[in-house]
Amino acid sequence: MAEHHEMPPDKHQKLVKAVRLEWISILYLLSAIVLLYFTLGSSQAMKAAWVEDILGLTPPIAFLVASRVRNRKPNDRFPYGYHRATAIAYLCAAVALLALGAFILYDSVSKLLKFEHAPIDLVKPFGDRPIWLGWLMLAALAYSAVPQVVLGRLKQPLARELNDKVLYADSEMNRADWMTAGAAMLGVVGIGFGLWWADSVAASVISVDIVRDGWKNLRVAVDDLMDKEPTVIDDARADPLPLWVKNELMLLDWVKDAEVRLREGGHVFLGEAFVVPVDNEDLVGRIDRANQHLLDLDWRLHELVITPVPEIQRPEPAGEGG
Amino acid sequence: MNQTRSSRRAGPLLAAVALLAVLAAGCGIPRDPESTLDRVRGGTLRAGITASEPWTTLEGGRPGGVEVELVERFATELGARVEWVDGSEADLMAALEVRELDLVVGGLTADTPWQAKAAITRSYATTRVVVAVPSSQPAPDDIAGLRVAVEAGTDAAGILEDKTDAIPVRVADVTQVRGSAVAVEEWLLADLDLRDTGVHLSRSKHVMATPMGENAFLVRLERFLIANQGEVPALLDKAEAGR
Repeated sequence: MAEHHEMPPDKHQKLVKAVRLEWISILYLLSAIVLLYFTLGSSQAMKAAWVEDILGLTPPIAFLVASRVRNRKPNDRFPYGYHRATAIAYLCAAVALLALGAFILYDSVSKLLKFEHAPIDLVKPFGDRPIWLGWLMLAALAYSAVPQVVLGRLKQPLARELNDKVLYADSEMNRADWMTAGAAMLGVVGIGFGLWWADSVAASVISVDIVRDGWKNLRVAVDDLMDKEPTVIDDARADPLPLWVKNELMLLDWVKDAEVRLREGGHVFLGEAFVVPVDNEDLVGRIDRANQHLLDLDWRLHELVITPVPEIQRPEPAGEGG
Repeated sequence: MNQTRSSRRAGPLLAAVALLAVLAAGCGIPRDPESTLDRVRGGTLRAGITASEPWTTLEGGRPGGVEVELVERFATELGARVEWVDGSEADLMAALEVRELDLVVGGLTADTPWQAKAAITRSYATTRVVVAVPSSQPAPDDIAGLRVAVEAGTDAAGILEDKTDAIPVRVADVTQVRGSAVAVEEWLLADLDLRDTGVHLSRSKHVMATPMGENAFLVRLERFLIANQGEVPALLDKAEAGR
């Protein structure tokens, strides 16, 4: 079975660009986290936005760690390679999102139910002039949102080209950050107008968003670890590659019947193909040539084990329980 | 959800919030949820007081002291009359929480545990307890083994033992001690003719308490305190002279 390079050269360039963008994201997020920390005050909405930015560090870190680890070639201790590293990193990030989001949601809703009013008073950040902390909060929120949306927009096409779900999920979270910042800003302005509940309501909205992100990512991470059939980058539908590979196999003159199953391993797909040959002539050569041909179909197909079988057992369609 | 569509709405939403904020800038932001400042202006300021010399005193039921003086001036600025209510800190904070009072003073400091229930102001004065010697004596390089008079019933003795090797001698009134090293509030150094040894035992940031969330009132009080914090040393001297 010939081993392809994991990535063609042009994709590798995109990977380098993605890695650079993720480093920039991490540095920028750290600065936003520090700025938000200094303008937290006693606002629950600010706290939720701050926590969400801290959690926003986990996908870039997961991506960068996974990029290093999965490039390692398989060895005798890890004969299947290190592809699963991404899925594990992804799972951890999703669990963190879910758990912290749920906690902040509980915190915000209980503050709302206890009718807690948020105090926002004066600070003197630059020398002698006092300024209402709310203005600084709005400025910090704007700083934390606008670059994030821009970074998200830059990352998303890269994620599609690299077939990287972690990067894609990260870009989605970035692009949606305008909602978080907007909600927190409305919370602060609401407090300014004397609407005491604006703060906890905004915080609750933000934490629901965090929980939703966590849940979505958790589902994708679990599907990945359970070797679910490959889906397109935004998880909307099944990827057409397994069917394509099967059709290509069926077109070969020595193949009577074929079945293909693939699973996702980070960027790439791996799997098995079962073929029923018409006769046993030059089976090894035929299989080898077929393998070369199929791996050339799509850069994402990394490894395909072709096995001759007397008869195909087709998997059943998934029931409603799916 | 189609992210492209919602992302394109980002611009307009942020613009709307920015507009709202700008409008707010001209509209008396921040406001009180329960209109405390509006009610107090030209009306009555209900202030809770608990005695804590020299910040607040209650001689024969009459409020006096640095913070009382400041509150009276604040009320004058607002065209209000002060109604003083005395009680323990716990009672006053409970009343403040349900907005039965507008303000509580009593030598409160920034580390007060009541800040979970009341909105405390920025600190308007910071005072320190220092170890001092009579100005006729030179300041010692090291106070280890020095006998230092401390006020009984305060934390000064404990801090002295923890932080230094000096020996605390508890006395009833540390301002009556002559000819010995004392642990005393910094503003009393000039009055008592003492010299600072440079050893500082503790620091207190003084604040006042307002109802949680009444941000217009809080901000107005803070602006007053910032403008008048220069008066505090003079008020402290006056309070000391009156003793």
